[in-house]
Amino acid sequence: MKKKMISILLMAAFVCSALIGCGNNGDSDQSSTDAVTNKGGNKEYDLTLYTVNSTDADFGDWLANVEGATGLKINVIAAPTDTDTRQQKITTILSTGDSSVDVLEINDEMSASFKNSGWLEGLNDTVMTEDIRGEFPQGYIEDMITDKNGQIVGVPGYSGYLAFWVNQEIMDEVGISAIETKEDFVEYMEAVSTDGRYGYGGSWEKTYAFNEMAQFVNMFGGDYLDWSNPANREAMEFLHEMVVKGYTSLDQIADKYEQMNSKFNDGKYGSLFMWGLGTDYAKAGMLGDDKIHMAMVPQFSEQKYIFTDSWSYVLNTASKNKDAAVKFLQYMASEEGMKASYEAFDRYPARKDVAEKVVPDTDPSKAIYSRYANECVVKGRPMLPQTMEFISAMGTIFQSYIKGEITIDDFCAKAQEYVETYN
Amino acid sequence: MIQKKSLQWIAWVLIMPVLVLRGFTTIYPIVKTVLNSFFDIRILSGVNEFAGLSNYINIFKDQKVITTLKFTAIFVVVSMLFHIVFGIGLALILNMKFKGRRFLRTIVLIPWAMPSVVIGMAGKWAFNNDYGLINDFIRRFFPDFQLSWLINTGSARAAVIALDLWKDLPFFAILVLSGLQFISGDIYEAAKVDGADWFQSFFRITLPLIMRNVLTLCIPFTLWRLTSFDLVYSMTSGGPGEDTSLIAYRITMEAFTNLNVGYAAALAVLLFLVMGIFSWVNMRFMSRFEN
Repeated sequence: MKKKMISILLMAAFVCSALIGCGNNGDSDQSSTDAVTNKGGNKEYDLTLYTVNSTDADFGDWLANVEGATGLKINVIAAPTDTDTRQQKITTILSTGDSSVDVLEINDEMSASFKNSGWLEGLNDTVMTEDIRGEFPQGYIEDMITDKNGQIVGVPGYSGYLAFWVNQEIMDEVGISAIETKEDFVEYMEAVSTDGRYGYGGSWEKTYAFNEMAQFVNMFGGDYLDWSNPANREAMEFLHEMVVKGYTSLDQIADKYEQMNSKFNDGKYGSLFMWGLGTDYAKAGMLGDDKIHMAMVPQFSEQKYIFTDSWSYVLNTASKNKDAAVKFLQYMASEEGMKASYEAFDRYPARKDVAEKVVPDTDPSKAIYSRYANECVVKGRPMLPQTMEFISAMGTIFQSYIKGEITIDDFCAKAQEYVETYN
Repeated sequence: MIQKKSLQWIAWVLIMPVLVLRGFTTIYPIVKTVLNSFFDIRILSGVNEFAGLSNYINIFKDQKVITTLKFTAIFVVVSMLFHIVFGIGLALILNMKFKGRRFLRTIVLIPWAMPSVVIGMAGKWAFNNDYGLINDFIRRFFPDFQLSWLINTGSARAAVIALDLWKDLPFFAILVLSGLQFISGDIYEAAKVDGADWFQSFFRITLPLIMRNVLTLCIPFTLWRLTSFDLVYSMTSGGPGEDTSLIAYRITMEAFTNLNVGYAAALAVLLFLVMGIFSWVNMRFMSRFEN
């Protein structure tokens, strides 16, 4: 009986402590939620921003600038640095109608997937108004962030180009001063490609090859989403021929950007296409007019083509703070907002007029970026809603074709099948 | 006795938190995964509808998955065979008496202690034709040797298996070594007196006495191979094409990159069944071996 009593008492104590524990947890959860959203009965934050820039050393200064200029109090949530995890989280937030996040930063892959989903608010009348719309790269706006109803759903945070890079030391060595046409390009390939050195280098790992495939299709005047177009076939055959003739290396099938850039720095490649402002080359002491630098994209067909990319600020349809979010987005689309991003994150302004004003002439990228914007047809990359599957599938058949495992007919047929499957 | 029975409810209440926790963290995900496998759930397309067995049927029509299943089988069988052969060999070396044995036993575990993702990233460079230490080593003997390991199916698969062995073989060997240390030296002394040579001692004494240990080790090591994805994820991304894609990697890609949750769930259920069958067969084999 005594034992039974002790057991019951212990049991009661356990149940009580468990309940108290649960109760306390609930309370603390509630208070922590309250701390985020309320302060003395007033809202502490006007909006919540889900950003990829929070790890930047200058993020604090940028945030202070934005809060000062807009008068908004912004709650910042750091997006995961891992690409897949980030995409899962953002997809979950948007697809479930989660209103805890108002503004998010998304990349091109996510733009392609989300723009027609109804998860993003149209900004034509509030932020991307006609007076400023024309200053953004039109090809990018149309291809990447305009939905099926013609609504622009994002504000590009910057403009990056898939620039054409050359090694000036090699150019001087072979006596070629400029690569302006397809013939110049081939001549450069022939002159450079010898003794383990290649005229052109790439990163053709299956999830990376997409950029260059699409770039060459563009340059030949093709359409990446229509593989009945003879220019697409011509572009692929050109790349295949470059491998066969030894102008570029088959080894790059395994390469991502790290490997490609190392080889470029080591003088193994004469030219390549690459995003960004050349940080890897600068780190290796190879960035400069007399070493590795950006050059104008060669013209293979009637026009010069170049891709641009960006991370765009988008407004969650489920947001309950849309007025504040619009105010924030208006600032990000303004001259002051773009200047703040350029100064804090070295992000080249997406608006042409702002870039002209804000970027100093001493910035080495300014001259060539202005030329890209003015002389090239600037496009967003061709992506489909099932973006990553499409990219990976296309990369896989590209590798097979380059290795000679399938014919160009098989490649084009498969490519068209993937366009239809993943659309 | 009656008193004990009447107190059993207290035991149930006490273990209830653990049961609830286990239910939420294990039972619920398993049940939910099985349910999801009968639905066509594609988050990016906004599709979520009942699909019956079509996800399971599609598995065997999907060339990517067929290639993946083939390589998974090759990876598991070849890697495990080498684990057993070289693992026992390394364990025998580590069991010998020589100067620096303790130091060797310690450093041999370093690869195992490193995260797979780090090893995969290092492997991508190690097998690079221009910068890799593998080719650098080979070129010391064959100066004209050129091979980009990760661009051809056979060499890329060999590289993945080699790296897997480099990472986990020492751990397998150390565990086999623990079995070796239980064998009394007297048995070998007696065998020696009876005229047994090294090979006879190994095949008649050592191998039979460590076999149960080795078979037991084969269960987790095979299951780890079946669920391995990080090595391939960071080293080859399943390439060239899908030639080095493992089933766990495919599931991860479908679930977390392509966001095809239903299809990924069907693949996961399939893997779950394969693992269950393997464990059952292995346990049956072990009980027969004991008998």
